Amino acid sequence: MEIKAEIIHNDSMAKGYFKLGLACAVPEVRPGQFVMLRVSDGLDPLLRRPFGIYRTLGQTRGRTLGTRGSSSKSKGIEVLYRVVGKGTAILSGKRPGETLGVLGPLGNGFPDRAEGSNPVLVAGGMGIAPLYLLARRLGEGTLLFGARSKAETFLLKDFRGLGLKIKTATEDGSAGIKGLVTGLLENELTPESIVYACGPVGMLKAAAAISGKAGARCLVSLERSMACGIGVCLGCAVRAKAHKEEKENRFYKMVCSDGPVFPGEEIDWDLL
Amino acid sequence: MGPVVKKTKAATEVTIAGLKFKNPVMTASGTFGYGAEFAPYMDLGRLGGIVVKGLSLYPRQGNPGPRIAETPCGMLNAIGLQNVGVDDFIERKLPLVRNAGTHIIANIFGETVEDYMEVARRLDGAEGVSALEVNISCPNVKKGGIVFGTDPQEAFKVVSAVRKSTSLPVITKLSPNVTDIKVMVRAAEDGGTDAVSLINTITGMVIDVERRRPVLATATGGLSGPAIRPIAVRMVWQAAQAASVPVIGMGGIMSARDALEFIIAGATAVQVGTASFIEPDAAVKVAEGLEEYLSKNETTVQDLIGSLRTA
Repeated sequence: MEIKAEIIHNDSMAKGYFKLGLACAVPEVRPGQFVMLRVSDGLDPLLRRPFGIYRTLGQTRGRTLGTRGSSSKSKGIEVLYRVVGKGTAILSGKRPGETLGVLGPLGNGFPDRAEGSNPVLVAGGMGIAPLYLLARRLGEGTLLFGARSKAETFLLKDFRGLGLKIKTATEDGSAGIKGLVTGLLENELTPESIVYACGPVGMLKAAAAISGKAGARCLVSLERSMACGIGVCLGCAVRAKAHKEEKENRFYKMVCSDGPVFPGEEIDWDLL
Repeated sequence: MGPVVKKTKAATEVTIAGLKFKNPVMTASGTFGYGAEFAPYMDLGRLGGIVVKGLSLYPRQGNPGPRIAETPCGMLNAIGLQNVGVDDFIERKLPLVRNAGTHIIANIFGETVEDYMEVARRLDGAEGVSALEVNISCPNVKKGGIVFGTDPQEAFKVVSAVRKSTSLPVITKLSPNVTDIKVMVRAAEDGGTDAVSLINTITGMVIDVERRRPVLATATGGLSGPAIRPIAVRMVWQAAQAASVPVIGMGGIMSARDALEFIIAGATAVQVGTASFIEPDAAVKVAEGLEEYLSKNETTVQDLIGSLRTA
């Protein structure tokens, strides 16, 4: 579970965007799970950082990945990241052959799809990363991708050819339709749809509301600062809507151990 | 591992309030859940003890988020003492660790003296609890929010009330947010405590400059991690000079060497806290490093306690 993993590659995909490959034999990975990476052995930065697992490495292409009950081991994992702070800046300077402490896979991924449902994936920017394994497993449906501009559409490259229809929305209109990705969502939904969403909180909130109105199920993958990733620091709490029978015992859910995937209607978006 | 381990086992043994600890390394409350969460990562039996998440009379939801913020060599937290409550702990959490082969110490807190007493009473008959650690860093709601841990009279009242409510050894966990720690040590001793543990987190704050808002939803929080270690060592040293009961030291311990600083300053045992968030088995590694040090230097923990040379 705690592994020292050798870096296979740490390649720049575009300015500030990286694809990191780590050699580590991980047990089955479910789509939507994450790992905690220690970017430095020193004391500053002190904490590990969570990263969604993009895909597993070293398995035959086309093989079903991450299926529940599968005991297949992969040779490694890949994560995507954007340099946004101190930790990711340090990470971007790591070279192949160096090692990183990896804890995981952690969290509950996306649940198995209900029979006959029509999957709609909604991704905002880097929020697309934890959806790759899911898209690959589903092999059908629609992927709605939202970005600021055309410059981010390179993130779609690996998703082409997986069997999903891809539609894009950009804020500046430089690719796809001009506007927000949630605008695309409204026209895609039927009550049989199941929505899988990952991206900024505003997008997730809108996706949950739009899905709710259409009578479709919506699963959101949340992100929060966390210290441990294993449900003990209680730092990554999000406000959940209280069920009547629970009274006030359980207003908070932990993104790491209860999530990171939650049914959209479970989250109290106004008090998040 | 052969005879070497056998020899160092005795070298690491310490006694606090009549309880024998196989080694002086425990996990700090609030950083180790209720213990069982860490079983996948280590043999819990390698620990001297586990101090569980602070328990209150009724379950508590804790504070809104954000609850944590990373700081240079540390972290700030304002979890808000979220816990399952003492009854649920006894019924569902304790059975998972009572046979783990280590001491289970229940950390308790309340908002009134009566709360503390009732939590202590309920734990008194619970099979598998070795001792109580009394967190006195909470505001006394009845006394208008005075923090038990910063007012010696309040501290005395709560410690003596717990003392009367239990037959278990009582450890009082002291707050560093005081001018003179020795006064608090004496107050806890007068209340009948069997040991003191320190330091709890230091009050701190981080501001998001762009938004001009505190990063934590509660504005302020408790600072922990290696950033606070020198303060912790200083306070443990001062407390040990004033105390006639054993002192348990903590604050930013990441390695065996860090633990040794506390022991040399006068701590009989140590607790590993924030480090467990980063490396789940950090406390076991500290215990192993300590064994190695003792065996290499042919000494014992007992010989090192308070062995600081100042002349």
